[in-house]
Amino acid sequence: MKWTLSIALVAATIVLIAAGLFQTRSGGGTVGIAAGRALPGFAMRPDTPEHALTILLGAVQRRDWKQALTVMRTNDAATSEDEQAMAQDWQGSNGSLRTFSSLESFDLWPQHATTDEAQIRARLNWTTPVGPVEDLRDFNLTRSGEIWTVTLPRTEPPNVPAQIVPVTYLRWDLVSGNGQDKWGTHNLDAPRVRIISMNAVNSAQGVVVMGEVENEDTVPAFVNVNATLLNASAAVIDQENSFDKIAHVLLPKAVSPYRIDFPGLDLAKVKNVRMDIKAALVPASADPVIGVMDQKIEQDLQGNPVLHGALLNQSGQTVNIPHVIASFSDSNGRVIWVSDGYVDNALLPQSSAPFAIQIPRNVATNVRSFHVVVNQYSLENS
Amino acid sequence: MSWLTSTVWKIPRAGTLLLFVGACWVAPSAAQELRVPESAMAGQAAVISTNGSGHATFYLIGPGTSIKREINLGEDVHVAPESLEDSGQYLAIVCSESCGSATFYVQPSHPASLSFLVHPSRVPDNQPDAVSGVAFPFDHFGNLVLDPLAVTFQAAGPKEKLFAREVSTRDGVAWFRTASGKSVGPLHITASIGPVSSPRVIAQVASEPCNLRIKGQRTAKGILVETEPVHDCAGNPVADGTIVTFNASGDGEKSTVDAPIKGDVARALITDSGPVTISAASGVAMTNELRVGGK
Amino acid sequence: MKNMTQRILRRLSPVIYFAAACLSLLLPFSASADAPTVLVHLDVNKASPRAVEEQTSRRILADYRFAWTNLARAVETDTIEPVRGQFVGSAGKWVAETIAAQQKAGLTSRHINQNHKLTATFYAPEGDVMELHDDAQFHLQVLDGSKLIYDQPVVMHYIVLMTPGADRWVIRQLQSVEKF
Repeated sequence: MKWTLSIALVAATIVLIAAGLFQTRSGGGTVGIAAGRALPGFAMRPDTPEHALTILLGAVQRRDWKQALTVMRTNDAATSEDEQAMAQDWQGSNGSLRTFSSLESFDLWPQHATTDEAQIRARLNWTTPVGPVEDLRDFNLTRSGEIWTVTLPRTEPPNVPAQIVPVTYLRWDLVSGNGQDKWGTHNLDAPRVRIISMNAVNSAQGVVVMGEVENEDTVPAFVNVNATLLNASAAVIDQENSFDKIAHVLLPKAVSPYRIDFPGLDLAKVKNVRMDIKAALVPASADPVIGVMDQKIEQDLQGNPVLHGALLNQSGQTVNIPHVIASFSDSNGRVIWVSDGYVDNALLPQSSAPFAIQIPRNVATNVRSFHVVVNQYSLENS
Repeated sequence: MSWLTSTVWKIPRAGTLLLFVGACWVAPSAAQELRVPESAMAGQAAVISTNGSGHATFYLIGPGTSIKREINLGEDVHVAPESLEDSGQYLAIVCSESCGSATFYVQPSHPASLSFLVHPSRVPDNQPDAVSGVAFPFDHFGNLVLDPLAVTFQAAGPKEKLFAREVSTRDGVAWFRTASGKSVGPLHITASIGPVSSPRVIAQVASEPCNLRIKGQRTAKGILVETEPVHDCAGNPVADGTIVTFNASGDGEKSTVDAPIKGDVARALITDSGPVTISAASGVAMTNELRVGGK
Repeated sequence: MKNMTQRILRRLSPVIYFAAACLSLLLPFSASADAPTVLVHLDVNKASPRAVEEQTSRRILADYRFAWTNLARAVETDTIEPVRGQFVGSAGKWVAETIAAQQKAGLTSRHINQNHKLTATFYAPEGDVMELHDDAQFHLQVLDGSKLIYDQPVVMHYIVLMTPGADRWVIRQLQSVEKF
């Protein structure tokens, strides 16, 4: 009996390992869509467009740039420069979000195919320190003899010329008195901040409480917004805070959208929402200044409404992980949605990077104006 | 209940009650006589006298103090200064066969420090009743000094002396309220009682921006737009770091830049190449509209 | 029948008196075993220069009562834990010292049937400190180990300074005075 159980467990383990090795990804994918998770050590000939792209993305998952280049070139061995460029393109640089991310999985949708050319759309699912990030990309493939290769437009890294960017550096330091903890010696008032709008809606994920908050003071504030949902008997249903859906450090007169998610809750059960804003004095810097250029609501490849734009770093400091937060208002000026997104690439001094933020279809039709702010994380400041 | 005999029954009712109260009372009734100080001051030694003879246990219970000591009745009990640092009521108890007690008060000593609360930390210029301060005098041991004392409040701005006022404490508190000054900068406020003083610094800041205006021109990089020096309505420069939001709209797109004021001016670069209309806002203040043609 | 009842009641009346008297004396002891009884009445009408907001008034009332309830527990059990976070500054210092001194001397004390008449006399313009006068009455018992060495009803007058803390009003100064 003792041996039977052990043998059964070993056999089951072997079967599961084998199944894991030979299965192609299907869970979570859409029917009719090729999807995959490449198998390490299996160098197969890319005899179909899907196969070629699967090999490429599998290599990206393993960060095997040499193998990735095998489906991008038809002749000659890959040079080290090619590998480096490939790595920089997919792995990121300058401490950007991509450098901390890895390609978890991908789904493929064939868009168009002839005997010699094909176009495939891929949804790339990245795991990042700020949570899962989805990326939609179109790939062009061509046939060379018996095999298919991927043609990737070569993305040139921003070329920032050597220069001196004069910055009138402005920052605030906190002086906390002479160290004696006597009553009245540390009575610096907290910054005066105010919630200037609030709206609670039902979304597909649950209740969303959102709005905008303003620093009305003359000093920087570290701000956090908390919301408590109460039922008809004034009992607390749930309590959450704005977490990363807010620009926490607000300079004087700065306005930031905020959003607080209550997953799985129904607004019909909520009688009251209690808002609480916490603000603290914080040492801060007025730089870098990031402009948000060419903001426009358009449709993405799948027809979803998306707010597009470009971030322009107007200072001399690299912004490693730009984070864009946008509030969308209706014709009455009421905030009806707040959305955010991280930009994969670092924002080098005096350079720009595109961004896109998705808007739910039902919200997009009512949007009349929007307000975009940029949160920035710079490694040299952290 | 059989032990309740008819003997008890014949005692008048009120007397019965007293009798039984006495029977149930656990504390002794015969008390020792104690003489405690009529007035004592925090941090000063005191002497408590007892009468009688024989050994006894002496207790002193007060704020921050609990002392138990074996004594000889009839001798004085010396209480050290460190046992009487906290002002308030002290209870002296002497127990031998029975216990006796007496209470006395320890008064606060002379003022040695001032707790001074000033608000707000940052105040807009030219605001009536905008600054207030509250002072509490304490002695060396942290006791609130309750005797009336004259507290001098003084306030001086960067360019002006705002006021000097003497206020008497009442129940250990003195306070003032005053208007903020006309100029921006540090406002030094001091509360003092004789040589004891407590300084505070608060910031006088400009009020909301007033008559905000922008100007701009197209350069090789884009449209460089900047505000004219940003002042409040009293002419004081608005604090550096205050955000001015520039908005450029044209051709169905818009661009925004949140730029901080530096050296009284906020600047931004708008990269739109087509004709745009640019405006700016800071808090509730809005600027003029600036129309810039395409490249 | 009626006369019979009256006669029985008359005969039993001394017993009832005795029981009532003993019970009344034992009550304080039994009460001290559970949560101490603390009654607080707050009058904010004399507060100046700022008027006390209703919500603040409710908070003060609850927090002051809570603080005294826990102070009574702390000095009865000679542990600082019950009062942690409710007394700060000078008040925190003397509460800690009181408990430490009691522990050292082997004493405990009980504040039984507390009744506090609290009057707000000063409320700072910015609402960051309030001075109150407390006319407190309670039964004070002092024990040396298990021996009761003091057992008297007392009337005390306290000057109290309270300041708002993170989630409650805390006692910063609690100073007894002979009279207001």
